Amino acid sequence: MSVAQDHPASEVPSSGERGRSQEGEEPPLLSVVGLEKSYGGLKAIDGVSLTIEKGEIVALVGDNGAGKSTLIKTICGALRPDAGDIFLRGKPVDFGSPKDATDAGIETVHQSLGLVDTLTVPENVFLGREETTRLFGLFPQLDLGKMRAETRKLLERFGISVPTLNEPVFRLSGGQRQTIAISRLLLSEPSLLIMDEPMAALGVDEGRRVLDLVVNLRDEGIAVLMISHNLEHVFQIADRIAVLKNGKLVGVVSTSDVSRESVVGMITMGVASIDPKRTDR
Amino acid sequence: MTETIAGDTVGGAKLIGTADRRFPLDGLGLTLVIVALGVIFTLINPRFASVDNFLNILTQASTYIIVAMGMTFVIAKAGIDLSVGSMLALVTCVFFGFIDDGMAWGLALVIMFALGALLGAFNGILVAFLAVPALIATLGTMVAYRGLALLHSSGKLYYGLPLEIVWLGQGHIFGIPVPVVIAAVFVAFSWWLFNRTPFGVHCRAVGGNREAARLSGIRVSRIEVLVYTFSGICVTIGGLIWMARIDGTQATFGTAMEIHVIAATIIGGTSLFGGRGTIYGTLAGAILLTMLNNALVIAGVEFFWQLVAIGVIVVIAVTVNNIRENRITWLETLRVRRNQARNRSVARGSIA
Ligand SMILES: Nc1ncnc2c1ncn2[C@@H]1O[C@H](COP(=O)(O)OP(=O)(O)OP(=O)(O)O)[C@@H](O)[C@H]1O
Ligand SMILES: [Mg+2]
Repeated sequence: MSVAQDHPASEVPSSGERGRSQEGEEPPLLSVVGLEKSYGGLKAIDGVSLTIEKGEIVALVGDNGAGKSTLIKTICGALRPDAGDIFLRGKPVDFGSPKDATDAGIETVHQSLGLVDTLTVPENVFLGREETTRLFGLFPQLDLGKMRAETRKLLERFGISVPTLNEPVFRLSGGQRQTIAISRLLLSEPSLLIMDEPMAALGVDEGRRVLDLVVNLRDEGIAVLMISHNLEHVFQIADRIAVLKNGKLVGVVSTSDVSRESVVGMITMGVASIDPKRTDR
Repeated sequence: MTETIAGDTVGGAKLIGTADRRFPLDGLGLTLVIVALGVIFTLINPRFASVDNFLNILTQASTYIIVAMGMTFVIAKAGIDLSVGSMLALVTCVFFGFIDDGMAWGLALVIMFALGALLGAFNGILVAFLAVPALIATLGTMVAYRGLALLHSSGKLYYGLPLEIVWLGQGHIFGIPVPVVIAAVFVAFSWWLFNRTPFGVHCRAVGGNREAARLSGIRVSRIEVLVYTFSGICVTIGGLIWMARIDGTQATFGTAMEIHVIAATIIGGTSLFGGRGTIYGTLAGAILLTMLNNALVIAGVEFFWQLVAIGVIVVIAVTVNNIRENRITWLETLRVRRNQARNRSVARGSIA
């Protein structure tokens, strides 16, 4: 813990990153600078700066309570940061609500699953963005047929089966619910996907399908910020890994440059180095 | 009310057993109770079964049905509106005041509806933007709106409406009382709004899981204000029929109306915990309560005992709902123990 606090890496983004975003013709898709958020006296995130480019997968890792969920909540408009700035394609943004972020092209799956137990599967999948037709050409009305058909297609894509679409979702298993939450992402064409432990409740096959999906989306040019405790998944798909400890960014490393051991070291000891000589300090 | 569409099974999974499909039974069970009660009342007093009495019950129920439609939305949103009776008194008194001042009834009607919407919206603003719990907010406005009605009318008993308005309460369309026609149309509209529009889904979403609704991009405060506004509009329509039916109003009218309306909604199966509701159930609940009232009046039971009866019915209805939703933990424990005991004895039997 003391190591993490001694280390300056959490305040200053590495020079490589800063250089990249300035030299490139385009500004990075998302960049956050000096983000802070406290709950009462507890500083859940403390001066975090991070950039995500178009078409890359950034994994966000860290121990329980490191502040990962808090960080993504400030990015997706669910929480207002106390300090710091968020830039989308170089332009400062200030999301007052999750809807503002969604409208700006940021889609999020939350850790606690954003499902409403009492609603049916299609009602959940389309919550907040219902398909509508017009009754008598005038009054907006749910297009249930279309919503059900699309839902069926989405669920088939993930290979999960749900007994019937008309039941309230509280009768479904954790993994089925998780998949429904994830399938919401595919309804729009986001430029940034944020996923908080998307694979946590999933079986082997379902988890693999989600990983494939994330990789496909990345290849289509979508940026992905994914929280995961599963380093195997992280090393499989992530381009870069950002490590958070006690609310501070320990460092951001390229997956190809690090070993799993040094990432574990960063997570547990807060050592922001990939230099073997320094990790055994 | 629920439809099972062909090909509803995704990926070939089996359907959940039909015994598990409790929700659609709400309305059906209640309908059976209504029919059973009807038979019993008829056996006791043959006059009960007449078409006239039936239409009479529906006419009496019409205001409650319409106000209870609004209450269904409010309760499904995990709120409550105690101010409906006071709102009814206030909007009808204000309407009558304008009529007495010689205002054209059309204009007075517009003002009445605007006022109803405003009073409802005020409830919504208290709940959504000042975070006052709905129970307290509407308890406050229940008293305040009643006070305003008393102030406005200074205890006056209003009477003498334009004939066009009286027709809304006392007229007939093809032999059916106008209040019944209005209530029927309004129930159909409410069913559509509740089950088939984004607004309906959003109400249920906010009631079922406020945070999930917010994270899904729903503007929760907006829904909250709209839902109470809708309740205010329902009260205005209900009040219009009410005053037209008796051709008069008074600041004390609609006292204890909230009890009847909330009772009808809950008996119908709308969950006080929010997230789901049934329009048909509310309709059945309102009819059931009016029927009971009607029977008690015919039987010559005192008004005070009628209140006691309604109180008892509400408690029974909530308990039945809780049993159905497995909310009563000691009952559930008892059931599990009994099953375990039975399984054990079966196992012993097979060993023996
Ligand atoms: N709503 C809240 N109110 C108060 N404190 C909170 C709240 N949410 C999180 N915290 C605290 O903030 C810190 C960071 O929490 P956060 O949920 O961001 O962690 P996390 O990295 O996502 O952990 P996990 O891996 O367990 O999901 C924790 O110490 C937690 O107790
Ligand atoms: Mg978390």
